Amino acid sequence: MKKNKYDGSFYLNPYLGGVILGTVLLLSFYISGRGLGASGAVKNSVAATVNAIAPTHVEQSAYYSQFAGGDKKPMNNWLVYEVLGALAGAFLSGIIFNRLKLKVEHSPKITSRRRLIFALLGGLIFGFGSQLAKGCTSGAALSGMAVLSLGGYITMIAIFGTAFVAAWIFRKNWI
Amino acid sequence: MEKKYTILSVILVILALGLVILPGKNERKEADPKILLGSIVEKSRYLSVDQITHRIIENDPTLLLIDLRPADQFKTFALPGAINIQPDSLLSKSIVDLFTQPGKDKVLYANADLISEQGWLMCTRYSLTRIYIMKGGLNEWYNTIIQTQVVKPTASSTDLDLVSFRNAARMYFTGAGNTPEARPTASTGEKIEVSRKAPAAKSGGGC
Amino acid sequence: MIGPIISSGLVSSAWDNVFAVFLGMGFGFALESSGFSSSRKIIGTFFGYDFVVVKVFFTAAIVASLGLLYLSYMGLVDYSLLYIQPTFITSAIVGGIIMGIGFAMGGFCPGTSVCAAAVGRIDGLVFFGGMFIGVFLFSEAFPLFENMYYSGSLGPKMINSVFGISPELFTFLLVLMAIGMFYGAGWVQGKVKKIDY
Repeated sequence: MKKNKYDGSFYLNPYLGGVILGTVLLLSFYISGRGLGASGAVKNSVAATVNAIAPTHVEQSAYYSQFAGGDKKPMNNWLVYEVLGALAGAFLSGIIFNRLKLKVEHSPKITSRRRLIFALLGGLIFGFGSQLAKGCTSGAALSGMAVLSLGGYITMIAIFGTAFVAAWIFRKNWI
Repeated sequence: MEKKYTILSVILVILALGLVILPGKNERKEADPKILLGSIVEKSRYLSVDQITHRIIENDPTLLLIDLRPADQFKTFALPGAINIQPDSLLSKSIVDLFTQPGKDKVLYANADLISEQGWLMCTRYSLTRIYIMKGGLNEWYNTIIQTQVVKPTASSTDLDLVSFRNAARMYFTGAGNTPEARPTASTGEKIEVSRKAPAAKSGGGC
Repeated sequence: MIGPIISSGLVSSAWDNVFAVFLGMGFGFALESSGFSSSRKIIGTFFGYDFVVVKVFFTAAIVASLGLLYLSYMGLVDYSLLYIQPTFITSAIVGGIIMGIGFAMGGFCPGTSVCAAAVGRIDGLVFFGGMFIGVFLFSEAFPLFENMYYSGSLGPKMINSVFGISPELFTFLLVLMAIGMFYGAGWVQGKVKKIDY
Protein backbone atom coordinates (compact mmCIF):
# COMPACT_ATOMS: atom_id res chain seq x y z
CA MET A 1 0.00 0.00 0.00
CA LYS A 2 2.89 2.33 0.67
CA LYS A 3 5.19 3.94 -1.80
CA ASN A 4 8.79 4.07 -0.71
CA LYS A 5 10.47 7.38 -1.26
CA TYR A 6 14.17 7.98 -1.60
CA ASP A 7 14.32 10.11 1.55
CA GLY A 8 12.77 7.38 3.64
CA SER A 9 9.34 8.98 3.97
CA PHE A 10 6.13 7.22 2.98
CA TYR A 11 3.00 8.33 1.26
CA LEU A 12 -0.23 6.46 1.58
CA ASN A 13 -1.76 5.07 -1.57
CA PRO A 14 -3.74 8.05 -2.89
CA TYR A 15 -6.96 6.04 -3.07
CA LEU A 16 -6.56 4.92 0.52
CA GLY A 17 -5.86 8.55 1.46
CA GLY A 18 -8.98 9.56 -0.42
CA VAL A 19 -11.09 6.99 1.40
CA ILE A 20 -9.75 8.22 4.76
CA LEU A 21 -10.41 11.84 3.79
CA GLY A 22 -13.88 10.95 2.52
CA THR A 23 -14.67 9.08 5.72
CA VAL A 24 -13.56 12.02 7.84
CA LEU A 25 -15.72 14.29 5.69
CA LEU A 26 -18.65 11.91 6.06
CA LEU A 27 -18.18 11.83 9.84
CA SER A 28 -18.03 15.61 9.86
CA PHE A 29 -21.41 15.76 8.15
CA TYR A 30 -22.79 13.00 10.36
CA ILE A 31 -21.64 14.62 13.58
CA SER A 32 -21.80 18.36 12.95
CA GLY A 33 -23.88 18.56 9.80
CA ARG A 34 -21.21 20.49 7.95
CA GLY A 35 -18.15 19.86 5.85
CA LEU A 36 -14.50 20.48 6.52
CA GLY A 37 -12.86 23.80 5.83
CA ALA A 38 -9.77 25.86 6.28
CA SER A 39 -10.06 29.41 4.99
CA GLY A 40 -12.95 30.16 7.35
CA ALA A 41 -10.54 29.87 10.28
CA VAL A 42 -8.29 32.47 8.66
CA LYS A 43 -11.29 34.72 8.12
CA ASN A 44 -12.26 34.45 11.78
CA SER A 45 -8.70 35.03 12.96
CA VAL A 46 -8.41 38.16 10.84
CA ALA A 47 -11.77 39.40 12.09
CA ALA A 48 -10.74 38.72 15.70
CA THR A 49 -7.43 40.56 15.24
CA VAL A 50 -9.06 43.57 13.64
CA ASN A 51 -11.73 43.49 16.33
CA ALA A 52 -9.06 43.62 19.04
CA ILE A 53 -7.26 46.55 17.40
CA ALA A 54 -10.14 48.59 16.01
CA PRO A 55 -13.53 47.48 17.35
CA THR A 56 -15.40 50.44 15.89
CA HIS A 57 -14.03 49.63 12.46
CA VAL A 58 -15.49 46.13 12.79
CA GLU A 59 -18.89 47.51 13.74
CA GLN A 60 -18.95 49.73 10.69
CA SER A 61 -17.62 47.19 8.21
CA ALA A 62 -20.33 45.35 6.30
CA TYR A 63 -18.03 42.32 6.10
CA TYR A 64 -16.44 41.94 9.54
CA SER A 65 -19.70 42.68 11.33
CA GLN A 66 -21.14 39.44 9.94
CA PHE A 67 -18.93 37.36 12.22
CA ALA A 68 -17.15 39.67 14.68
CA GLY A 69 -17.95 42.57 16.92
CA GLY A 70 -20.71 42.82 19.47
CA ASP A 71 -20.97 39.62 21.47
CA LYS A 72 -19.82 37.40 18.62
CA LYS A 73 -16.73 35.37 19.41
CA PRO A 74 -14.92 34.79 16.11
CA MET A 75 -12.19 32.63 17.66
CA ASN A 76 -14.65 30.34 19.44
CA ASN A 77 -15.62 28.86 16.13
CA TRP A 78 -15.96 25.31 14.84
CA LEU A 79 -13.60 25.97 11.93
CA VAL A 80 -10.91 27.45 14.16
CA TYR A 81 -10.92 24.33 16.36
CA GLU A 82 -10.98 22.16 13.28
CA VAL A 83 -7.92 23.83 11.76
CA LEU A 84 -6.05 23.55 15.09
CA GLY A 85 -6.93 19.85 14.98
CA ALA A 86 -5.68 19.66 11.40
CA LEU A 87 -2.32 21.08 12.48
CA ALA A 88 -2.05 18.38 15.14
CA GLY A 89 -3.21 15.63 12.77
CA ALA A 90 -0.71 16.63 10.09
CA PHE A 91 2.07 16.82 12.67
CA LEU A 92 1.16 13.31 13.83
CA SER A 93 1.26 12.06 10.27
CA GLY A 94 4.60 13.79 9.80
CA ILE A 95 5.99 11.82 12.75
CA ILE A 96 4.53 8.51 11.62
CA PHE A 97 5.66 8.83 8.01
CA ASN A 98 9.01 10.39 8.84
CA ARG A 99 8.48 13.74 7.13
CA LEU A 100 9.15 16.25 9.89
CA LYS A 101 11.82 18.55 8.55
CA LEU A 102 12.24 22.29 8.45
CA LYS A 103 12.81 23.23 4.80
CA VAL A 104 11.64 25.25 1.84
CA GLU A 105 10.50 22.93 -0.89
CA HIS A 106 11.21 24.27 -4.34
CA SER A 107 12.26 23.30 -7.80
CA PRO A 108 16.07 23.10 -8.19
CA LYS A 109 15.81 25.76 -10.89
CA ILE A 110 14.64 28.51 -8.56
CA THR A 111 15.91 29.96 -5.29
CA SER A 112 14.20 29.56 -1.92
CA ARG A 113 13.65 33.29 -1.91
CA ARG A 114 11.70 33.19 -5.16
CA ARG A 115 9.71 30.22 -3.90
CA LEU A 116 8.79 32.06 -0.70
CA ILE A 117 7.77 35.22 -2.54
CA PHE A 118 5.51 33.20 -4.80
CA ALA A 119 4.13 31.26 -1.83
CA LEU A 120 3.27 34.55 -0.13
CA LEU A 121 1.66 35.99 -3.25
CA GLY A 122 -0.16 32.71 -3.90
CA GLY A 123 -1.47 32.67 -0.35
CA LEU A 124 -2.57 36.29 -0.62
CA ILE A 125 -4.43 35.69 -3.87
CA PHE A 126 -5.92 32.42 -2.64
CA GLY A 127 -7.08 34.06 0.57
CA PHE A 128 -8.69 36.86 -1.37
CA GLY A 129 -10.46 34.48 -3.75
CA SER A 130 -11.63 32.20 -0.96
CA GLN A 131 -13.53 35.08 0.64
CA LEU A 132 -15.20 36.02 -2.62
CA ALA A 133 -16.23 32.42 -3.30
CA LYS A 134 -17.22 31.89 0.36
CA GLY A 135 -14.90 28.95 0.77
CA CYS A 136 -11.76 27.29 -0.48
CA THR A 137 -10.90 23.93 -2.03
CA SER A 138 -11.95 22.10 1.13
CA GLY A 139 -14.82 24.24 2.39
CA ALA A 140 -16.51 25.10 -0.87
CA ALA A 141 -15.31 22.56 -3.41
CA LEU A 142 -14.77 19.30 -1.48
CA SER A 143 -17.49 19.70 1.15
CA GLY A 144 -19.82 21.18 -1.47
CA MET A 145 -19.26 18.22 -3.77
CA ALA A 146 -20.02 15.78 -0.96
CA VAL A 147 -23.54 17.20 -0.58
CA LEU A 148 -23.88 17.74 -4.34
CA SER A 149 -23.97 21.53 -3.99
CA LEU A 150 -24.02 23.27 -7.36
CA GLY A 151 -21.78 26.03 -5.99
CA GLY A 152 -19.24 23.45 -4.83
CA TYR A 153 -18.96 21.95 -8.30
CA ILE A 154 -18.71 25.35 -9.97
CA THR A 155 -15.97 26.46 -7.57
CA MET A 156 -14.09 23.19 -8.07
CA ILE A 157 -14.18 23.49 -11.86
CA ALA A 158 -13.17 27.17 -11.70
CA ILE A 159 -10.22 26.47 -9.38
CA PHE A 160 -8.83 23.48 -11.24
CA GLY A 161 -9.59 24.87 -14.69
CA THR A 162 -7.76 28.10 -13.96
CA ALA A 163 -4.94 26.36 -12.16
CA PHE A 164 -4.23 24.19 -15.21
CA VAL A 165 -3.75 27.31 -17.33
CA ALA A 166 -1.97 29.34 -14.65
CA ALA A 167 0.38 26.48 -13.75
CA TRP A 168 1.58 26.49 -17.34
CA ILE A 169 2.31 30.22 -17.07
CA PHE A 170 4.26 29.71 -13.85
CA ARG A 171 5.84 26.41 -14.94
CA LYS A 172 9.38 27.75 -14.47
CA ASN A 173 8.68 27.76 -10.74
CA TRP A 174 7.81 24.09 -10.66
CA ILE A 175 9.51 21.96 -13.31
CA MET B 1 -1.54 -3.63 -9.12
CA GLU B 2 -3.87 -3.12 -12.07
CA LYS B 3 -6.08 -6.01 -11.05
CA LYS B 4 -6.54 -4.59 -7.57
CA TYR B 5 -7.75 -1.29 -8.97
CA THR B 6 -10.12 -3.03 -11.38
CA ILE B 7 -11.72 -4.88 -8.50
CA LEU B 8 -12.00 -1.66 -6.49
CA SER B 9 -13.58 0.13 -9.44
CA VAL B 10 -16.14 -2.62 -9.88
CA ILE B 11 -17.04 -2.49 -6.18
CA LEU B 12 -17.44 1.27 -6.37
CA VAL B 13 -19.67 1.06 -9.45
CA ILE B 14 -21.82 -1.62 -7.81
CA LEU B 15 -22.19 0.53 -4.68
CA ALA B 16 -23.20 3.54 -6.74
CA LEU B 17 -25.55 1.49 -8.91
CA GLY B 18 -27.10 0.11 -5.75
CA LEU B 19 -28.25 3.59 -4.82
CA VAL B 20 -29.90 4.09 -8.19
CA ILE B 21 -31.77 0.80 -8.30
CA LEU B 22 -32.76 0.58 -4.64
CA PRO B 23 -36.52 1.05 -4.41
CA GLY B 24 -37.63 4.55 -3.47
CA LYS B 25 -37.41 4.93 0.22
CA ASN B 26 -40.54 5.04 2.28
CA GLU B 27 -40.40 8.55 3.62
CA ARG B 28 -42.66 7.86 6.58
CA LYS B 29 -43.31 4.71 8.47
CA GLU B 30 -46.93 3.65 8.36
CA ALA B 31 -48.65 3.18 11.68
CA ASP B 32 -49.38 -0.30 12.94
CA PRO B 33 -53.11 -1.07 12.35
CA LYS B 34 -53.59 -1.89 16.04
CA ILE B 35 -52.16 1.43 17.12
CA LEU B 36 -54.23 3.15 14.47
CA LEU B 37 -57.40 1.48 15.73
CA GLY B 38 -56.50 2.50 19.27
CA SER B 39 -56.10 6.10 18.17
CA ILE B 40 -59.44 6.03 16.37
CA VAL B 41 -61.28 4.75 19.42
CA GLU B 42 -59.49 7.20 21.66
CA LYS B 43 -61.26 10.56 21.58
CA SER B 44 -58.34 12.70 22.66
CA ARG B 45 -57.92 13.99 19.12
CA TYR B 46 -60.84 16.38 19.60
CA LEU B 47 -60.36 19.89 20.83
CA SER B 48 -63.45 21.95 21.51
CA VAL B 49 -64.04 25.27 19.79
CA ASP B 50 -63.72 26.95 23.18
CA GLN B 51 -60.26 25.48 23.72
CA ILE B 52 -59.17 26.59 20.26
CA THR B 53 -60.62 30.08 20.76
CA HIS B 54 -58.75 30.40 24.03
CA ARG B 55 -55.51 29.52 22.34
CA ILE B 56 -56.10 31.85 19.40
CA ILE B 57 -56.75 34.77 21.70
CA GLU B 58 -53.70 33.95 23.79
CA ASN B 59 -51.59 33.79 20.63
CA ASP B 60 -50.44 30.31 21.61
CA PRO B 61 -47.22 29.70 19.63
CA THR B 62 -47.71 25.93 19.71
CA LEU B 63 -50.99 26.15 17.84
CA LEU B 64 -50.97 25.50 14.11
CA LEU B 65 -54.42 25.73 12.55
CA ILE B 66 -54.91 23.91 9.30
CA ASP B 67 -57.91 24.78 7.17
CA LEU B 68 -58.96 21.91 4.93
CA ARG B 69 -61.75 23.75 3.10
CA PRO B 70 -61.59 24.83 -0.57
CA ALA B 71 -59.42 27.87 -1.25
CA ASP B 72 -62.31 30.21 -2.12
CA GLN B 73 -64.01 29.54 1.20
CA PHE B 74 -60.71 30.03 2.95
CA LYS B 75 -60.34 33.43 1.26
CA THR B 76 -63.77 34.50 2.40
CA PHE B 77 -63.19 33.62 6.02
CA ALA B 78 -60.75 31.60 8.09
CA LEU B 79 -59.60 31.44 11.65
CA PRO B 80 -56.69 33.80 12.37
CA GLY B 81 -53.31 32.32 11.51
CA ALA B 82 -54.76 29.29 9.79
CA ILE B 83 -53.01 27.71 6.82
CA ASN B 84 -55.05 26.48 3.90
CA ILE B 85 -54.18 22.99 2.73
CA GLN B 86 -56.19 21.00 0.24
CA PRO B 87 -56.91 17.46 1.49
CA ASP B 88 -55.47 15.91 -1.69
CA SER B 89 -52.05 17.49 -1.10
CA LEU B 90 -51.93 16.48 2.55
CA LEU B 91 -49.04 14.09 2.12
CA SER B 92 -46.88 16.05 -0.29
CA LYS B 93 -43.31 16.66 0.81
CA SER B 94 -43.66 20.31 1.80
CA ILE B 95 -46.83 19.67 3.75
CA VAL B 96 -45.33 16.73 5.60
CA ASP B 97 -42.43 18.98 6.58
CA LEU B 98 -44.98 21.40 7.96
CA PHE B 99 -46.64 18.63 9.92
CA THR B 100 -43.40 17.35 11.38
CA GLN B 101 -42.50 20.69 12.94
CA PRO B 102 -41.62 19.93 16.51
CA GLY B 103 -43.54 21.53 19.34
CA LYS B 104 -46.66 22.39 17.36
CA ASP B 105 -50.19 21.11 17.82
CA LYS B 106 -51.62 20.70 14.37
CA VAL B 107 -55.36 21.35 14.53
CA LEU B 108 -57.40 20.40 11.49
CA TYR B 109 -60.74 21.94 10.73
CA ALA B 110 -63.22 22.18 7.88
CA ASN B 111 -66.88 23.21 7.80
CA ALA B 112 -67.91 20.09 9.66
CA ASP B 113 -66.03 17.07 10.99
CA LEU B 114 -65.95 14.67 8.05
CA ILE B 115 -63.03 16.10 6.09
CA SER B 116 -61.03 16.78 9.26
CA GLU B 117 -61.54 13.17 10.32
CA GLN B 118 -60.28 11.93 6.98
CA GLY B 119 -57.28 14.23 7.14
CA TRP B 120 -56.56 13.16 10.71
CA LEU B 121 -56.69 9.50 9.69
CA MET B 122 -54.25 10.07 6.83
CA CYS B 123 -51.79 11.90 9.06
CA THR B 124 -52.06 9.44 11.92
CA ARG B 125 -51.58 6.55 9.56
CA TYR B 126 -48.31 8.13 8.46
CA SER B 127 -47.17 8.27 12.08
CA LEU B 128 -47.46 12.04 12.31
CA THR B 129 -48.14 13.07 15.87
CA ARG B 130 -49.88 15.91 17.69
CA ILE B 131 -52.65 16.06 15.09
CA TYR B 132 -56.00 17.25 16.45
CA ILE B 133 -59.46 18.04 15.15
CA MET B 134 -61.53 21.05 16.05
CA LYS B 135 -64.74 19.29 17.05
CA GLY B 136 -67.69 20.43 14.99
CA GLY B 137 -65.60 22.43 12.57
CA LEU B 138 -66.17 26.00 11.59
CA ASN B 139 -69.96 25.67 11.76
CA GLU B 140 -69.75 24.74 15.40
CA TRP B 141 -67.23 27.53 15.99
CA TYR B 142 -69.60 30.06 14.42
CA ASN B 143 -72.60 28.81 16.32
CA THR B 144 -70.80 28.75 19.63
CA ILE B 145 -68.59 31.78 19.55
CA ILE B 146 -70.21 34.21 17.17
CA GLN B 147 -73.91 33.55 17.67
CA THR B 148 -75.32 34.90 20.88
CA GLN B 149 -76.69 32.38 23.27
CA VAL B 150 -79.52 32.79 25.62
CA VAL B 151 -78.47 32.03 29.15
CA LYS B 152 -80.98 30.37 31.33
CA PRO B 153 -81.27 32.01 34.73
CA THR B 154 -80.78 28.58 36.28
CA ALA B 155 -77.39 28.01 34.63
CA SER B 156 -74.50 26.99 36.81
CA SER B 157 -71.60 29.34 37.47
CA THR B 158 -69.28 27.39 35.14
CA ASP B 159 -71.83 27.81 32.37
CA LEU B 160 -72.02 31.50 33.13
CA ASP B 161 -68.23 31.75 32.95
CA LEU B 162 -68.29 29.97 29.63
CA VAL B 163 -70.89 32.34 28.24
CA SER B 164 -69.02 35.40 29.42
CA PHE B 165 -65.86 34.00 27.84
CA ARG B 166 -67.72 33.47 24.59
CA ASN B 167 -69.06 36.98 24.73
CA ALA B 168 -65.54 38.30 25.20
CA ALA B 169 -64.31 36.13 22.35
CA ARG B 170 -67.07 37.42 20.14
CA MET B 171 -65.90 40.95 20.85
CA TYR B 172 -62.36 39.84 20.02
CA PHE B 173 -63.29 38.38 16.66
CA THR B 174 -65.95 40.79 15.50
CA GLY B 175 -65.20 43.93 17.41
CA ALA B 176 -68.94 44.17 18.01
CA GLY B 177 -71.02 44.25 21.11
CA ASN B 178 -73.01 41.46 22.65
CA THR B 179 -75.47 40.98 19.84
CA PRO B 180 -73.71 40.73 16.54
CA GLU B 181 -75.40 39.00 13.68
CA ALA B 182 -72.98 39.73 10.89
CA ARG B 183 -70.37 37.18 9.92
CA PRO B 184 -66.90 38.22 10.98
CA THR B 185 -64.83 40.15 8.49
CA ALA B 186 -62.93 38.20 5.94
CA SER B 187 -59.66 39.99 6.45
CA THR B 188 -58.79 37.80 9.42
CA GLY B 189 -58.00 34.86 7.18
CA GLU B 190 -54.52 35.78 6.19
CA LYS B 191 -53.06 33.40 3.66
CA ILE B 192 -49.77 32.09 4.90
CA GLU B 193 -47.21 30.74 2.50
CA VAL B 194 -46.39 27.14 3.28
CA SER B 195 -42.66 27.23 3.66
CA ARG B 196 -40.23 24.72 5.00
CA LYS B 197 -38.99 25.53 8.41
CA ALA B 198 -35.29 26.31 8.47
CA PRO B 199 -33.41 23.59 10.32
CA ALA B 200 -32.72 24.54 13.89
CA ALA B 201 -28.97 24.53 13.84
CA LYS B 202 -27.60 25.09 10.39
CA SER B 203 -24.02 26.05 10.68
CA GLY B 204 -22.73 29.20 9.10
CA GLY B 205 -20.45 29.88 6.12
CA GLY B 206 -18.23 27.15 4.83
CA CYS B 207 -14.52 26.87 4.57
CA MET C 1 -28.66 7.74 16.07
CA ILE C 2 -30.01 9.97 13.39
CA GLY C 3 -27.39 12.42 12.22
CA PRO C 4 -26.25 15.10 12.13
CA ILE C 5 -26.13 14.37 15.82
CA ILE C 6 -25.31 17.95 16.83
CA SER C 7 -27.85 19.82 14.69
CA SER C 8 -30.64 17.40 15.55
CA GLY C 9 -29.96 18.03 19.21
CA LEU C 10 -29.03 14.46 20.18
CA VAL C 11 -25.70 15.60 21.56
CA SER C 12 -25.23 18.93 23.28
CA SER C 13 -23.79 21.56 20.96
CA ALA C 14 -21.04 22.14 23.52
CA TRP C 15 -19.48 18.97 22.14
CA ASP C 16 -19.39 20.42 18.65
CA ASN C 17 -16.02 22.10 19.12
CA VAL C 18 -14.54 19.01 20.74
CA PHE C 19 -15.57 16.97 17.72
CA ALA C 20 -14.16 19.75 15.54
CA VAL C 21 -10.69 19.14 16.95
CA PHE C 22 -10.88 15.41 16.31
CA LEU C 23 -12.36 15.82 12.84
CA GLY C 24 -9.63 18.36 12.11
CA MET C 25 -7.02 15.83 13.21
CA GLY C 26 -8.46 13.30 10.80
CA PHE C 27 -8.51 15.92 8.08
CA GLY C 28 -4.89 16.93 8.66
CA PHE C 29 -3.78 13.32 8.91
CA ALA C 30 -5.53 12.32 5.70
CA LEU C 31 -4.08 15.25 3.76
CA GLU C 32 -0.54 14.92 5.07
CA SER C 33 -0.31 11.16 4.74
CA SER C 34 -1.47 11.35 1.13
CA GLY C 35 1.36 13.76 0.39
CA PHE C 36 -0.49 17.07 0.40
CA SER C 37 2.22 18.71 2.47
CA SER C 38 4.45 18.80 -0.60
CA SER C 39 3.67 21.62 -2.99
CA ARG C 40 5.55 19.97 -5.82
CA LYS C 41 3.54 16.80 -5.39
CA ILE C 42 0.29 18.78 -5.42
CA ILE C 43 1.22 20.86 -8.43
CA GLY C 44 2.24 17.70 -10.29
CA THR C 45 -1.40 17.31 -11.29
CA PHE C 46 -1.10 20.28 -13.59
CA PHE C 47 2.00 18.97 -15.35
CA GLY C 48 0.91 15.36 -15.40
CA TYR C 49 3.70 13.84 -13.34
CA ASP C 50 1.69 13.17 -10.19
CA PHE C 51 -2.08 12.99 -10.02
CA VAL C 52 -2.32 12.52 -6.27
CA VAL C 53 -4.60 15.57 -5.89
CA VAL C 54 -7.13 14.33 -8.42
CA LYS C 55 -7.10 10.82 -6.98
CA VAL C 56 -7.47 11.83 -3.34
CA PHE C 57 -9.89 14.68 -3.97
CA PHE C 58 -12.32 12.74 -6.12
CA THR C 59 -12.10 9.55 -4.08
CA ALA C 60 -12.97 11.58 -0.99
CA ALA C 61 -15.86 13.37 -2.73
CA ILE C 62 -17.28 10.06 -3.97
CA VAL C 63 -16.90 8.29 -0.63
CA ALA C 64 -18.61 11.15 1.20
CA SER C 65 -21.42 11.56 -1.38
CA LEU C 66 -22.13 7.83 -1.53
CA GLY C 67 -21.88 7.55 2.23
CA LEU C 68 -24.29 10.40 2.85
CA LEU C 69 -26.83 9.05 0.38
CA TYR C 70 -26.63 5.56 1.91
CA LEU C 71 -26.94 6.96 5.43
CA SER C 72 -29.87 9.06 4.32
CA TYR C 73 -31.46 6.03 2.65
CA MET C 74 -31.13 4.03 5.83
CA GLY C 75 -32.64 6.92 7.75
CA LEU C 76 -29.45 7.55 9.69
CA VAL C 77 -28.93 11.07 8.41
CA ASP C 78 -31.42 13.86 7.91
CA TYR C 79 -30.24 15.34 4.62
CA SER C 80 -32.27 18.50 5.19
CA LEU C 81 -30.18 19.36 8.26
CA LEU C 82 -26.87 19.25 6.40
CA TYR C 83 -25.20 22.51 5.55
CA ILE C 84 -25.37 22.85 1.79
CA GLN C 85 -23.22 25.70 0.61
CA PRO C 86 -25.55 28.25 -1.02
CA THR C 87 -24.75 28.90 -4.65
CA PHE C 88 -23.72 32.36 -5.79
CA ILE C 89 -22.85 31.80 -9.43
CA THR C 90 -20.81 34.94 -10.13
CA SER C 91 -18.74 34.97 -6.98
CA ALA C 92 -18.18 31.20 -7.17
CA ILE C 93 -16.74 31.50 -10.67
CA VAL C 94 -14.72 34.68 -10.12
CA GLY C 95 -13.52 33.55 -6.69
CA GLY C 96 -12.63 30.15 -8.15
CA ILE C 97 -10.59 31.74 -10.94
CA ILE C 98 -8.71 33.91 -8.44
CA MET C 99 -8.08 30.87 -6.25
CA GLY C 100 -6.84 28.92 -9.28
CA ILE C 101 -4.20 31.58 -9.95
CA GLY C 102 -3.18 31.58 -6.29
CA PHE C 103 -3.05 27.78 -6.38
CA ALA C 104 -0.68 27.73 -9.36
CA MET C 105 1.55 30.41 -7.84
CA GLY C 106 1.68 29.16 -4.28
CA GLY C 107 1.29 25.45 -4.86
CA PHE C 108 -1.06 25.00 -1.92
CA CYS C 109 -4.63 25.46 -0.96
CA PRO C 110 -5.49 26.62 2.56
CA GLY C 111 -5.94 23.16 4.06
CA THR C 112 -2.78 21.74 2.57
CA SER C 113 -0.71 24.77 3.57
CA VAL C 114 -1.70 24.13 7.19
CA CYS C 115 -0.48 20.54 6.82
CA ALA C 116 2.74 21.64 5.15
CA ALA C 117 3.39 24.16 7.92
CA ALA C 118 2.75 21.44 10.52
CA VAL C 119 5.54 19.25 9.14
CA GLY C 120 7.97 22.16 8.86
CA ARG C 121 7.58 23.31 5.26
CA ILE C 122 8.40 27.02 5.44
CA ASP C 123 6.76 27.69 2.07
CA GLY C 124 3.53 26.28 3.53
CA LEU C 125 3.79 28.58 6.52
CA VAL C 126 4.43 31.58 4.28
CA PHE C 127 1.47 30.66 2.09
CA PHE C 128 -0.70 30.43 5.20
CA GLY C 129 0.57 33.84 6.31
CA GLY C 130 -0.16 35.26 2.87
CA MET C 131 -3.76 34.15 3.24
CA PHE C 132 -4.20 36.39 6.26
CA ILE C 133 -3.11 39.37 4.17
CA GLY C 134 -5.42 38.33 1.33
CA VAL C 135 -8.39 37.92 3.65
CA PHE C 136 -7.61 41.24 5.30
CA LEU C 137 -7.42 42.99 1.92
CA PHE C 138 -10.69 41.46 0.82
CA SER C 139 -12.43 42.48 4.03
CA GLU C 140 -11.20 46.04 3.71
CA ALA C 141 -12.14 46.23 0.04
CA PHE C 142 -15.47 44.51 0.63
CA PRO C 143 -17.66 47.50 -0.38
CA LEU C 144 -16.07 47.32 -3.84
CA PHE C 145 -17.03 43.68 -4.22
CA GLU C 146 -20.28 43.67 -2.31
CA ASN C 147 -22.46 43.55 -5.42
CA MET C 148 -20.51 40.70 -6.93
CA TYR C 149 -20.41 38.92 -3.57
CA TYR C 150 -24.18 38.65 -3.44
CA SER C 151 -25.00 38.41 -7.14
CA GLY C 152 -26.25 35.31 -8.91
CA SER C 153 -27.74 33.85 -5.76
CA LEU C 154 -29.51 30.52 -6.27
CA GLY C 155 -29.74 29.41 -2.64
CA PRO C 156 -28.62 25.95 -1.55
CA LYS C 157 -29.14 24.44 -4.98
CA MET C 158 -28.10 20.87 -5.69
CA ILE C 159 -26.31 20.04 -8.89
CA ASN C 160 -28.52 17.07 -9.78
CA SER C 161 -31.53 19.40 -9.96
CA VAL C 162 -29.77 21.34 -12.74
CA PHE C 163 -29.77 18.20 -14.88
CA GLY C 164 -33.18 17.17 -13.62
CA ILE C 165 -31.99 13.82 -12.26
CA SER C 166 -32.03 12.24 -8.84
CA PRO C 167 -29.05 12.68 -6.46
CA GLU C 168 -28.49 8.93 -6.65
CA LEU C 169 -28.24 8.91 -10.44
CA PHE C 170 -25.94 11.92 -10.40
CA THR C 171 -23.63 10.20 -7.92
CA PHE C 172 -23.59 7.09 -10.08
CA LEU C 173 -22.55 9.16 -13.11
CA LEU C 174 -19.96 10.93 -10.95
CA VAL C 175 -18.47 7.59 -9.95
CA LEU C 176 -18.24 6.48 -13.58
CA MET C 177 -16.62 9.80 -14.51
CA ALA C 178 -14.14 9.62 -11.64
CA ILE C 179 -13.10 6.06 -12.49
CA GLY C 180 -12.57 7.14 -16.10
CA MET C 181 -10.50 10.04 -14.82
CA PHE C 182 -8.40 7.79 -12.57
CA TYR C 183 -7.56 5.52 -15.50
CA GLY C 184 -6.86 8.54 -17.69
CA ALA C 185 -4.57 9.95 -15.00
CA GLY C 186 -2.65 6.70 -14.82
CA TRP C 187 -2.27 6.68 -18.58
CA VAL C 188 -1.00 10.28 -18.72
CA GLN C 189 1.35 9.70 -15.81
CA GLY C 190 2.90 6.81 -17.70
CA LYS C 191 3.57 9.03 -20.72
CA VAL C 192 4.96 12.06 -18.91
CA LYS C 193 8.63 12.36 -18.00
CA LYS C 194 9.22 11.54 -14.34
CA ILE C 195 10.27 14.45 -12.17
CA ASP C 196 12.19 14.11 -8.94
CA TYR C 197 10.86 16.17 -6.10
